[in-house]
Amino acid sequence: MFTAAGFAKTWEYITLFKQGLICTVALSLLTVIFGFILALVLAVMRLSDIRPLRFLALTPDGHLREQGFLTLLSRFNPVSFLATVYVEIFRATPMLVQLFIIYYVVLGDVDFPSYKLFGFIRFDRFVPGVVALAMNSGAYLSEIIRAGIQSIDGGQTEAARSLGLSQVQNMRFIILPQAIKNILPPIANEFVTIIKESSICYTIGVQEIMYAVTSTKGATYRIAEPLVVATVVYFCLTFPTSKIIAYFERRMSVGDKRNGGDGKPKKARMKIRQASILRSQGGPEGFSFHAGGEKEE
Amino acid sequence: MSQHLIQVTDLKKHYNRGAIKALDGVSVNIDRGDVMVIIGPSGSGKSTFLRSLNLLEEPTGGSIMFDGIDITKKKTRNADGKLVKVDIDQHRQKMGMVFQHFNLFPHMTILDNMTLAPIQVKHMNRAAAEEKALNLLARVGLQDRAGAYPIQLSGGQKQRVAIVRALAMEPEVMLFDEPTSALDPEMVGEVLDVMKELAAEGMTMVVVTHEMGFAREVGNRVLFMADGKLLEEGTPEDIFTNPQHPRLQDFLSKVL
Repeated sequence: MFTAAGFAKTWEYITLFKQGLICTVALSLLTVIFGFILALVLAVMRLSDIRPLRFLALTPDGHLREQGFLTLLSRFNPVSFLATVYVEIFRATPMLVQLFIIYYVVLGDVDFPSYKLFGFIRFDRFVPGVVALAMNSGAYLSEIIRAGIQSIDGGQTEAARSLGLSQVQNMRFIILPQAIKNILPPIANEFVTIIKESSICYTIGVQEIMYAVTSTKGATYRIAEPLVVATVVYFCLTFPTSKIIAYFERRMSVGDKRNGGDGKPKKARMKIRQASILRSQGGPEGFSFHAGGEKEE
Repeated sequence: MSQHLIQVTDLKKHYNRGAIKALDGVSVNIDRGDVMVIIGPSGSGKSTFLRSLNLLEEPTGGSIMFDGIDITKKKTRNADGKLVKVDIDQHRQKMGMVFQHFNLFPHMTILDNMTLAPIQVKHMNRAAAEEKALNLLARVGLQDRAGAYPIQLSGGQKQRVAIVRALAMEPEVMLFDEPTSALDPEMVGEVLDVMKELAAEGMTMVVVTHEMGFAREVGNRVLFMADGKLLEEGTPEDIFTNPQHPRLQDFLSKVL
């Protein structure tokens, strides 16, 4: 199965793996940046309170209707609805299908410059890869962020607003700093997932690590040894990443507490952590950020 | 316009088409220097009323005139008769609020808790804001805890910080929503002492509380609410020694 000669042959193509490593890191970093921005926008959209049909809930004399069809209509929030549709579609369809649709259909007719990133990464393959990965992980990350924002006690907002802080200032100084702390573990999880899932981009010819494997295989007729190298490289990427984020999480947890302090432990946080563990084990649903199906390959 | 600092007229908060009336036509005037204590059984609408004053609850009817501006309206006419937007954030700055559960920001030090709003909202520079905060902390005996996080403080200390955090914005009126209800009994006194001191300095205060001793001793007006209605209003002597309304008599017989 594995032979020394096989590894020696594979070693001749180590440059491909080095390039693959750089490409995978670039792909994952850009994905997590754009994915996070997209996720923030989606989360804010889903938590927004925009109801253009609000007036339907009022009777002609200005009182609130008790219930009925008009009350239901009045609760319609088009912004939140759009975001929900986006998230559900991206979570319910395979990543590979999304990637192909974006590469062949959406960006199929776009003429990318023949520019090569770092001298070897083909722009016309790389950009669709980033777009697809970011759009996909944005859907997942937005659910994590939404849960994180909702886990902050409402009293925090009330205190901030009563001090005269605007809604935006409240988000920026009070809610998000606390929410980020809560959602760091699942975000770390998601980042690691992105690194691993970026391997799917070799199907559209992005020169990342799996692309190096297939190229080496084509040249050497060896498959086991290149795969071992790829496994080691992926592990060396993902394992330190999760450890680094765990370190920052510990450092940020100073003074952490919910509810302004009536002695409750870090319940909200433990819940979120549990949820992320459950997800990575494909565990039961219920309190899960990714309720509605595991992430497809 | 009016002489009163806050003029509440026929304030209503209805749910389910009036099936539930949290507030059912409350009218009251609050003058500068008033220490108004609101008492009543739970579910009587005391907290809803207090929270309506800075629009943490949006009333469904009635008006609240604060400094001559109806803050329940989205727009108002300014001196030139032009329609301008009512900026609720601006009015909230003038109303400090203290909550039952303190609601300190757990990710910030005590000092940062106190300087955040002065710096971000009032655009004070950091040095001035910190000096002011330290002075305020000294007043409640907590100057040495400025660098601590809320989790490191006792309940009484947290509530004292919450009070001076609100004071740092130099409000015209302080609203207290059951400030001692979440405290261990031995810590109630330290918080009430701060409030008494504040009242003695002439701060306008509206206090929802179950501390009848405080209401009697510090309040200059006592309001009794039940079922979303203001049933009786008077001086502490009137209310506690000569209650008129049967609901009030019943309530006092239970709590005193």
